[in-house]
Amino acid sequence: MIKNVLSDIGGIGLYGVISICLFFAVFTGALFLSLRMKQSVADHINSLPLEDGEPVQKGVSHE
Amino acid sequence: MSTNIETFKYDNRIVRAFAIATVIWGLVGFSAGLLIACQLFWPDLNLNLQYTTFGRLRPLHTNAVIFAFVGNGMFMGIYYSLQRLCKARIYNDTLSWINFWGWQLIIVSAAVTLPLGLTSSKEYAELEWPIDIAIAVIWVVFAINLFGTILKRREKHLYVAVWFYIATAITVAMLHIVNSLAVPAGWFKSYSLYAGVQDALVQWWYAHNAVAFFLTTSYLGLMYYFLPKAANRPVFSYRLSIIHFWALIFIYIWAGPHHLLYTALPDWAQSLGMAFSIMLIAPSWGGMLNGLLTLRGAWDKVREEPMLKFMVVAITAYGMATLEGPMLSIKSVNALSHYTDWTIAHVHTAALGWNGFLTFSVLYWLYPRLYNTKLYSVKLANWHFWLGLLGMMFYVIPMYWSGITQGLMWKQFTSEGFMQYPNFLETVLQLIPMYKLRAIGGTFYILGACLMTYNLYKTAKSGVFVPEVEVQAPALQAEVAAHDGNDPWHHRWIESKPLVMTGFALVAVAIGGLVEFIPMWIIKENVPTIASVKPYTPLEVLGRDIYIREGCVGCHSQMIRPFRSETERYGDYSKAGEFVFDHPFLWGSKRTGPDLHRIGGKYPDAWHYNHMDDPRLTSPGSIMPRYPWLLTQKLETNSLPARIGALRKVGVPYPSGFEATAQTNLQAQAAKIVENLKQGAITNAPPDREIIALVAYLQRLGTDIKTTNAPPVKTAAN
Repeated sequence: MIKNVLSDIGGIGLYGVISICLFFAVFTGALFLSLRMKQSVADHINSLPLEDGEPVQKGVSHE
Repeated sequence: MSTNIETFKYDNRIVRAFAIATVIWGLVGFSAGLLIACQLFWPDLNLNLQYTTFGRLRPLHTNAVIFAFVGNGMFMGIYYSLQRLCKARIYNDTLSWINFWGWQLIIVSAAVTLPLGLTSSKEYAELEWPIDIAIAVIWVVFAINLFGTILKRREKHLYVAVWFYIATAITVAMLHIVNSLAVPAGWFKSYSLYAGVQDALVQWWYAHNAVAFFLTTSYLGLMYYFLPKAANRPVFSYRLSIIHFWALIFIYIWAGPHHLLYTALPDWAQSLGMAFSIMLIAPSWGGMLNGLLTLRGAWDKVREEPMLKFMVVAITAYGMATLEGPMLSIKSVNALSHYTDWTIAHVHTAALGWNGFLTFSVLYWLYPRLYNTKLYSVKLANWHFWLGLLGMMFYVIPMYWSGITQGLMWKQFTSEGFMQYPNFLETVLQLIPMYKLRAIGGTFYILGACLMTYNLYKTAKSGVFVPEVEVQAPALQAEVAAHDGNDPWHHRWIESKPLVMTGFALVAVAIGGLVEFIPMWIIKENVPTIASVKPYTPLEVLGRDIYIREGCVGCHSQMIRPFRSETERYGDYSKAGEFVFDHPFLWGSKRTGPDLHRIGGKYPDAWHYNHMDDPRLTSPGSIMPRYPWLLTQKLETNSLPARIGALRKVGVPYPSGFEATAQTNLQAQAAKIVENLKQGAITNAPPDREIIALVAYLQRLGTDIKTTNAPPVKTAAN
């Protein structure tokens, strides 16, 4: 059955349109999700690398 | 809120082990690259040894740099950052060390088997099946450690770097398993499950995404962690990092067919690959800008901090390479660039700049912290930076020059309509000065890496290793109650649930491959069969396996594109139906020598015999190495039944019982070639030498469709 469905795609020129649509959907989906995020949460997550709970080692700098 | 504070320790031992391995394998991988770069203008540099020819060492170089240098660098960075981002020790120390030693063992196996000629010939997946299984096992060990650590974390939110690590773990596993499927014909020989066009599609889906998910997403994770650490400021935009991640992993997986433009791959797949490659600019540049803008207001630190200098060049190289990649995927640009040194320049912008410099950056940052000291010499690190940068320039600029020069020469016609440079060798000799300049660039780069090795060694000696770091953090359950709501439309909902996130990521990376593979496998129209194309004879099978063993595919394509400049030079363009028995496909990706798809019947047998003995006898000035051992080594025929049996299993229609007559068939064809050689004044060639099998294979290449003028025949299945 799947073979018949895929055979009907024919010309397959549609793939270009499908690919653009998928790209658009994923891109806007990610945009939507990211814009819905609260600034305070974004700031918290963003600061995670700087707050790893590790004590600052003395003298660890490049002169 | 509960204040259930827990005390635990980060493991630095495993990080140090991977760091040392990164430095050592980096030097090995770069040196192998320099050696083969020099062989291209000094062919005798293989010292007449079969184990050190360009064909066998080229995969050693690529595997060493990708899987040994970057692989260890990736593990180093992940094992360091993952613990700190999850506020948890790595899930299981024993698994960490199995991961480490298993990976090193795999690298050593590669370093032994590839020079021995034990190769599947599929680019960046050359290792034979027992090593492939070992890779899968060790990768699973790594994944257990990764997900185990994430699950026992004390920080609810997964930082963007961890998403990239998750994407790397699941996608590399998927790519490796699908592309490595093969039927063994002995302990060190196997035949790809796929043939011809399908094999090419799977292979370049793998190879393209190995670049994407081994060399890129893992290192983007490192960038998102180590850049804020070094700049001491958070990433420019967390929201941009969300878009960067999802768009990148979704789009990357579709772009593989851009490696097969103008080949026998169906046009729809080529167009799909091109379209998605161009789209890739958006997320790639989003990521690059997010990295560079993190440094806004902190550029003064870049002047003082060598680590940041390396990081800035790495991110810039990422931006350049990810703009160039989509440009090269435009069919009209690819028509010029493909098979030339332009591709070599492109990948080295990324490898030397993005992966190399980012690794150096992380190493310079980590070592003082692992040893609780300061860097031994900032001056030496600055020397390394400038030597490395100069080395990159001396590498890539001559390669761009060389690639464009050769691409144009191949396509140049005279005003009378004849080829301006009909002799392929003429276009190669033009490039020799560029190859010499490239070797100077590589030398600079290695010298810089040597300075770094010394600097890191002295840094380690000047401090005391900190094997574990004790820290405190609240337990995770205390955090859960603090967060409000379960609104599924917040991205936080996904990224705080690692398994949901992994599921989404898996769907995102699987969809592109499935959309490309399923039609290719199911719709027979994609590979029109040609009635006159027959399976290889037993002697030709062994000859083809010698061709694979010697890595001929590293310099010779077997894919004539439908351009007049190619059909004039090589003969009729290649058709998909001609490769239906090619397990694996051998289309190649670079023409250091001419295409060989229509080499069959072009020259007498004796020409090939002499050419393999010493290419300069037949082609003065050739940069191909000599293969005198093929004339003396006895052809191994004991494995013939196993090879035919394995090929039958992957779909080659040898009749049952063919193994019984294979030996006789082989001897008859060998005797015929020996007779042909006598006509070429070679009277002493024994019929049981490897050269006879290789000549049989070369003379068969591309000749099947010459036996009939019939057009491609569609199968009844349509």
